Amino acid sequence: MPALQSPPPPPVVQVREMDFCYGSSIALEGINLAVERYRITALIGASGCGKSTLLRCINRMNDRVPGARVTKGEILVKGKNIHDDDVDLTQLRKQVGMVFQKSSPFPKTIYENVAYGQRTHGVKSKDILDDAVERALRHAALWEELKDRLDQNALGLSGGQQQRLCIARAIATRPDVLLMDEPCSALDPIATLKIEELMHQLAREFTVIIVTHNMQQAVRVSDYTAFLHLGKLVEFAETDALFSNPRQKLTESYLRGTFS
Amino acid sequence: MPADLNNDSTPSRPTLGSLLLKSQRRTFLGVDKQKAIRFFFASNSSAAVIVLVLIMLFLLREGVDFLPTYRHELETYQHAGLEFCDLVEQPLAEHQQLCSKLRRVLSASLNTITYQARSRRDAAYQQMRDVEEETRLQRAVLTNALAEVPPAALEKLAQLRQELLTATQLAVSRLAVPPSLTPSEGWQLKRDLALLSPESAEPPLVLELLSAAYIRVDTEAHASFKPLVEAVEAFEAAPDELHTLLNTLKKHARETKALVTDFHSSGKGHGRKDPIDFASRITPLTSRIPELSGRIEAYAQRAQTAAASLPPQAGTPQATKMLSEMRAMLPGHLTEMRAAAGKLPQWSYEKRVSYFKVVLAFFFGDAWITNSSWQDFFGFIPLLVGSVLIAVLAVLIATPLSIIAAIYTNQFASVREQDFIKPVIEFIQAIPSVVLGFIGISVLGDVIKDVSHVSWLQWLPGFPIQERLNMFNAACLLALMAVPTMFSLAEDALNNVPRAYIDASDALGATKLQTVFRVIVPSARSGISAAVLLGLGRVIGETMVVLLVAGNRIAIPDFRSGLGVVFQPAHTLTGIIAQELGEVSRGSAHWQALFMVGIVLFVISLLVNWCARAFVRRFELSKS
Repeated sequence: MPALQSPPPPPVVQVREMDFCYGSSIALEGINLAVERYRITALIGASGCGKSTLLRCINRMNDRVPGARVTKGEILVKGKNIHDDDVDLTQLRKQVGMVFQKSSPFPKTIYENVAYGQRTHGVKSKDILDDAVERALRHAALWEELKDRLDQNALGLSGGQQQRLCIARAIATRPDVLLMDEPCSALDPIATLKIEELMHQLAREFTVIIVTHNMQQAVRVSDYTAFLHLGKLVEFAETDALFSNPRQKLTESYLRGTFS
Repeated sequence: MPADLNNDSTPSRPTLGSLLLKSQRRTFLGVDKQKAIRFFFASNSSAAVIVLVLIMLFLLREGVDFLPTYRHELETYQHAGLEFCDLVEQPLAEHQQLCSKLRRVLSASLNTITYQARSRRDAAYQQMRDVEEETRLQRAVLTNALAEVPPAALEKLAQLRQELLTATQLAVSRLAVPPSLTPSEGWQLKRDLALLSPESAEPPLVLELLSAAYIRVDTEAHASFKPLVEAVEAFEAAPDELHTLLNTLKKHARETKALVTDFHSSGKGHGRKDPIDFASRITPLTSRIPELSGRIEAYAQRAQTAAASLPPQAGTPQATKMLSEMRAMLPGHLTEMRAAAGKLPQWSYEKRVSYFKVVLAFFFGDAWITNSSWQDFFGFIPLLVGSVLIAVLAVLIATPLSIIAAIYTNQFASVREQDFIKPVIEFIQAIPSVVLGFIGISVLGDVIKDVSHVSWLQWLPGFPIQERLNMFNAACLLALMAVPTMFSLAEDALNNVPRAYIDASDALGATKLQTVFRVIVPSARSGISAAVLLGLGRVIGETMVVLLVAGNRIAIPDFRSGLGVVFQPAHTLTGIIAQELGEVSRGSAHWQALFMVGIVLFVISLLVNWCARAFVRRFELSKS
């Protein structure tokens, strides 16, 4: 049947044989990773293993760090090498959104926070902005809570709300890929639960890559998991397979907590 | 070993309770080492607080006596009848302004006729001065030789004369005859000037002829503007009789005041009531009210008649305009004069001067007059207006400069640029303000004045300016002094913007400029506002520059010239203290008035700093 014979959809994000250095120290080495569309991929590993660095490579957030550069290999987003000369950083980041560990709403109104991305991309029409804000807030399951106080300062929200607002802000520009850098590490369990529920919803429209130090979270939310250790990608597999049946010894000991 | 309260214990072993409670530390006068160290640190930190409180107390101690002293002065002013005289004198001052307007009208009108003759004469005299200036050296030598007591040898004199002649001829040959002189006059002038010698007392003939021509033309001009000349003279003479009477009354009032002052300075008046019989001293004034009113009326009528006889047209359009301005001002002036005459009978020397009135006279008084032979007034408004105008203007200039520099340095500059810009801007702070004052006097003042005379800039308000030393000049220098403060604080505020905001904005695809102007600057807004306010605090307390450069005219600036008001000179709160405190006698009303100014300045600075703190607090709240 033709449907079966058609090749699998190309990965949205593909990292090939990438080395990454901070100055003279190597942070990542020989990374190979292919992230499938509309899936949640978790990056796990001990502190300092390079998982955040890898994440920040995908939207080139490391560009600003002095001395940081990709020394070998390449990163493709939707088949395009993001280090090509003709890649516009603004366009890349429009397609690869990011949510940070610490919720960081701007000291502006809720509306302005969500509309920020669209505004920076030159959207001025009030209708388009209203529409984008509402859609993003609905996606982030905030619309019902906040629709009556869009003109209040975002700093007045609770921690969980602030983080969901940051997610809404990141998806308001309708990116293909959403990077999340330990988005729940500063939240209480209930807020964490809400964000995790949200992530399942988000995966219908976005490809999500999440860094987490919480292995239960990785199990709960992700479809694929990559385990990094000391700058190397040790194992990358479907989450169920990796957790129930790790192929590498290193992975197994990390999962068991008997890490030396 | 304290006595045990516990019955169970044996004397040889202390109870657990006494072991725990007994302090092991050695004490001195009930203070152990820990407490002593704590006390030492506390006293150091409270030193600043104590000093601040002491400063406030001393300022208050010196300043607070001002109100009773000034009240006494104002009472004397009233009791001795000086106030009575001022009722008439003050409105009469406007007559002077009207006169000077008329004088200008007259000279502009005469000028239309005399201009040519005068400029011819002046040009010729200028030529002579030029020649004299060029041959100054030789002339001086010859003059000295002639003046020697044993007369110099004739040959030597002749030689010196020859040298002078040569030099003079050389100078004359270089002269360009001004176009206003006819060729033959120019030729005569050159011939006469070439023979110029220090012994001839009279100017060359040509010059005398030109002078005579001018005088003739001037007389003609006076004749042709006869109605105007006569009307102006009549108007000037109108208040003569009133002045004579007023001066008699003023003399009497001043004598009464001198009696009071002598009485107090001799020490006898300490704590006692003035023994001077004001009632009998005041009668000579009040008894002449009818006469005074009569003379006021006479003056009014004479002024009116003189004004009516003014011709409708003056020599030039501007003069005609000024003339009509003067005509428009006159009725108001005369009404005031007549109103003053009406007030005279109601005036009483006995009315009490309340403290409320004294406070009003200080805080809302529009005249700061000191060392006057008539009466000192300590009105604070002229100084306040000067200080505030200069400070606000300085901040308006410094704010864009320093904020934009801070944004550039903090966000766009490379590390090497930062290492250059920051020390340089902070170095400005190290320039002694006196040195900046020099620059203001010797450079900036001239530059501003020259620029204001450029013809295509005349549309700017206040241009062309007359005074080199003015508020704008001072404000420019103060702005320079405020820049380091504002720059550093604004840069700190920008630096304090959380990293997370910048990351988030970058991750949303914002460009550097968008991040800076949509996130960083708005987030630092409160800090930047605080920087501006602290800059204002810095500027309003600055003394040396304003003292040297602001022009030190104690008068409320004339706001009728719109924005051009900034090019007028003014005096300031700080400047007046620095200028006058050294010269007043300690404890006098003037001394105390200066301390009052100091207190107000102190309060203003406190308020400004408090506002800045409030801004910073708000900023920190919003950050957390």
